[in-house]
Formats: sequence, C-alpha cells, structure tokens
Amino acid sequence: MNLAPDALRLDIGASLRLFGGLPALLQQVRDDLAAMALPAHVAVAATPLAALWLARAGDGTVCPDLAATRAALAGVPLAALRLAPPLARRIEGFGLRRLGDVLALPRASLGARLGKPFVIDLARALGELPDPQTCFAFPERFEQALELPAPVEAAPVLLFAARRLVAALAGWLAARNGAVRALDCLIEHGHGHVTALPLAFSAPVHDAARIERVLKESLDALHLPAPALALRLCAPETVAREAGSLVLFDGAGQRQEALAELMDRLAARLGAPAVQGLACHADHRPEHASRAHPAAPAAAPPTLPRPLWLLDPPEALRESRGRPQRAGPLRLAAGPERIESGWWDGADARRDYFIAIDGAGRWLWIFRDPRPPGGWFLHGVFA
Amino acid sequence: MNPSLVQLLQRSDIRRGDAFAVAPAPTLGSGFPLLDAELPGGGWPRGALTELLVEHEGIGELGLLLPALATLTAAGRVVVLVAPPHAAHAPAWAAAGVRLDCLRLVFPRRPRDALWAGVEALRCGGVAATLLWLDAMFRDGLPANSLRRLQVAAGEGGGAAYLLRPARFAAQASPAPLRLQLQAAEGRLRVQLLKRRGPPARHDLLLDIRRPAALPQAFPHALAGAALPAASGTRRRSRAAA
Repeated sequence: MNLAPDALRLDIGASLRLFGGLPALLQQVRDDLAAMALPAHVAVAATPLAALWLARAGDGTVCPDLAATRAALAGVPLAALRLAPPLARRIEGFGLRRLGDVLALPRASLGARLGKPFVIDLARALGELPDPQTCFAFPERFEQALELPAPVEAAPVLLFAARRLVAALAGWLAARNGAVRALDCLIEHGHGHVTALPLAFSAPVHDAARIERVLKESLDALHLPAPALALRLCAPETVAREAGSLVLFDGAGQRQEALAELMDRLAARLGAPAVQGLACHADHRPEHASRAHPAAPAAAPPTLPRPLWLLDPPEALRESRGRPQRAGPLRLAAGPERIESGWWDGADARRDYFIAIDGAGRWLWIFRDPRPPGGWFLHGVFA
Repeated sequence: MNPSLVQLLQRSDIRRGDAFAVAPAPTLGSGFPLLDAELPGGGWPRGALTELLVEHEGIGELGLLLPALATLTAAGRVVVLVAPPHAAHAPAWAAAGVRLDCLRLVFPRRPRDALWAGVEALRCGGVAATLLWLDAMFRDGLPANSLRRLQVAAGEGGGAAYLLRPARFAAQASPAPLRLQLQAAEGRLRVQLLKRRGPPARHDLLLDIRRPAALPQAFPHALAGAALPAASGTRRRSRAAA
C-alpha cells in the first residue's frame, strides 16, 4: 500500500482470498471510504501505474489481468497521465488525445521525441517493465486532533468526540500490531490554554473499547477550567502487542485482563495515588517498613508480632498513674520490644512497644517514648 | 415421599426450612472448621455479600478472614481492600500469610467514589475477594439502596465480598444473605450468625483467632514509668508470636 498525492494504491493480489474475492473486497473499500466520507474513484488493474491512470480517467474500471489492462489503457485520455505541461503540449501538438493513440506509434521514435522517462512509464503501465513500489509506513507516533463543532463545557460530554480519536488510534495500533501503556489526551481551550489528561494503563492496551472505558472515568472526574474547543490524542510510545491470544482463552488470563482494567479505571477516576499495592521495606521503624508500591525486592517479614493496621500519625494516649489509658486503663499483654533506629536520616526513633488490650477487647500496639517529653502512643491495631 | 415432591425439593431455588440452601457457587473455606460447619455450603459464600458487624475494631475481625485471604493469594488470586480504615502494615499482612503482590488497596476520598469503587471491585471477575469499609464515608452509614447495589455487584463478579460495618447496623435490614456479628471474648472471637441461608443458628461460635500474644493472666507489676524493664536494645520475643 502507498500513497500518491491524491491516490491510495493497494496491492490486493495477495488479499483476494482473505476478503472473499474481488467484488467483496471492492465493496469493503467503498464502504470504508463512505464511512470516512471520502469521495473516490476506484479502479483495478494489473500494474500500479495503470490502476492510477484508470482511476483518474473514471470510476469503476476493473481489469483483472494484463490483457484487459492494456485494452483499457487505450481508452484513457492523456490528461489522466498528468504529464508535465511542456510534454503534454508537445504530445497535444502531435494531435494525440488518448493513450491508445500514443501506443499506436512506434515505441523507438516515441523515446526520441518525448523522452526516455515517458517511455519507461508507458512500459511500466503495460507491464513490460517491473514497477517496484515502496510500501507506506505508518507514522511512528500517533497524534490526532479534532475540532469540536461547538465549545463543550462538561468534560464527560467530550467522550463522544474522543471516541473518534480512540477509533483512529486503535486502527493505527492494529496496523503496527502495537499497544500503548500511556496516552496523552489534551483538551484545548483556545489562546494556548490546554488541559492535559494523561491516561496510564497497567498493562499495554490496544482495544478501543477498553481505552474508552478508562478515558470515560478520567473525563468523569475532570473539571474543565474553560470550555473545550478541540481535543487531541497522542500516543507517545508504543510497545509490541503481546502474543496473548492463547492466554485469553484461559481463565487466569481473563482474570488478569479484567483486573488490569479495573485498576486502570480506579486510578483514572480516583487519581493514581488512591490505588495502591503493598510491599515490605527493610526498615526497623514500623512507619517505614511498609510501601504502597513495590520498588525493591520485598524484605523478609519479621517474626515479631506486628499489627495489620498502622496509625499515621500515632495517637497520643493519656497516662494515669504510670499506665496508658484509652477508654479506661490498658492491659499490657506483651512487651517491651525496643525499636531504635533511624538516627541516620534524622527521623530518629527510640520506642518501647507493647501489645495492649483495652476494656472492650481491642488488641492494640502501643509504644512509650523513653526520651523526654515521653508519653504513650497508639501506633497500630491488631484487627 | 412422593416422587414429584422429591423432584421439587431438588430445585436450587427451593430449600427446606431445616436444611441449608444449595450454595450457587463453590464456597471458600474459612480456615475455621467450627465456622465452616455453620456456613451454607461449608465456607464463605462467593458471589454474595457477607456482612461482618464488628463491635470494636481490633478484636480480630480481620483475623477471621486472613486464613481465607491467605489461601486465595497463595493461588495468585487478587484481594482488594476498598476504603480501609488505616494504613496497612505490610510486614503484618505478609506474616499472616497474605501474598502482598496479590493485594490492592483503594483509598477513595468521596462517599460517591467509595461506593463506585466498591461496586466496580465487586463486579470485576479478576478480583477473588473484596473487603469494604464504606460506612465511615457516609454520615449516617451506608444507605440501604447501596447495600442492594453491592449485593447485585457481588453476584456479577462472583468473588467473596466482605462488608465490614460497625455493630450498630446489626438491627438494620440488609439484602446480604450472610450476616455475622463479631464480639471480643477474652482473647477469642465470638461469632453470632445473625442471618444465613439456612435454619437459624442455635448458638454463638467461639473462634480462636490468631492473636499477637497470650492474654496476660495478671498484671506482673504496676507500670510506673521508672518500673518498666530497663531495656538495653534487646528485643524480647513474645510467647505467642511464632
């Protein structure tokens, strides 16, 4: 496939069976063109150049083989060749109107009078010389914009317009067999004001419906500072699509897909920091022993008892006659466990931890700060 | 018995008053044989909402769920916590046998978002169990129609669904087919089956929940600040820690 300035050339020889024969393929091409509201002439010929000239000459010429192509070319007006004006004038001076008139002349004298390139073109159109074509390469980076027919005030309404961009992106990705991990959706307000709406996916996505669902949550959560005039969608980076079609048929793969989509939608609507994982971190201070996002390999969990919930910041407890109070005196079930750490980064901690039980039967993790001003603190709950 | 009556009784939507209903999905073992024996299908339901009405936070309410969560995550299945009341302390969850890479925590800020996140997590077929703490997000607790939405969502997703609520909502009507009230009982957990698909429970259950230490028999000595054991950087391992 490649593009002339106003023409799209498709090599269909290898695709006929796939699309169910020539008439079916032609119908699909016409349907797709109609869907994009592009008026076009369609012609089929045995050589690329002949197809181009025939299409310029009129719509609907179909020449399935070289003989038919040669016959059809005879009727093509010379204007369809779009020759350079001096050459066109000279040929017109000979009184030639159609390609058939030219082909009737001896080829050797044509070369002498009209120049070698013209004769080579003729030979290529007739299939006498090979006509290698360079293949169209899709742009490396996807970026498409869409002017909105009217200013849009509410972000969720933008989804309708965004669907067209997402569909274009999905087509672009399909051609490259690619997928994206992130997208930039830019909402333009005019005068250079832009609202950026980054979309992140936990796993590479290529499916338009799935991208739309994540985009919907982002738009629902978005407040527009000014009416939107245009929408732009960019894919900064693409990754190769994983050969996951086999995995899709197995339950684990489906669950993984569903989970990835859930996480993306939660992050899109609630903000990325609202969706967390959990990982251990090697630090003796309890408040630093837990991480929301796994960074390094997890440290081995300690063998000493630790509460499932940690209070941040620790809650100061009342003390009465040397005993910590929380809705009554606390009974100490175990302790102390001294934790002394963090002098190297300024967040110095030296604490004596106890497991305490209150009157209602709550199991709590409390500590006493032995350094002045001291006092008791509730740091965790054994839920 | 009349054969047509036998046939009728085999229908899944009919149950005899003295028998458990046929659970629609395979249940999930709770890790507590005493409890499993009292649950229809012999374990935690999947695809239906389970309400845990907790008298006080910190009595072992999560300890009741941890064996099931450990089983699920060990198989690589994902557990989602929606609007948990505090920050989760990773070493403790890991020590309880939960695979941390299978845990996801969602912290919505607005009540509407919390309910939405809960419904979405429940509906997601990729989530094996969802734990929700939603009442604190609303001024008067979770609205009744939201409970129905959660129950429907749990049915769609098919995972285990636990709604942890303060015990004061025990008297409220609920569409959840299983409702348990949890109370502290001297280092154990008293489980009262408020509602189940089956005959009413005759008695409460006393479960041995994993606790961080043995209960102190008596207080060793008055804890004056100065009387505390003068720790010298040494750590004492608690007896029941292992």
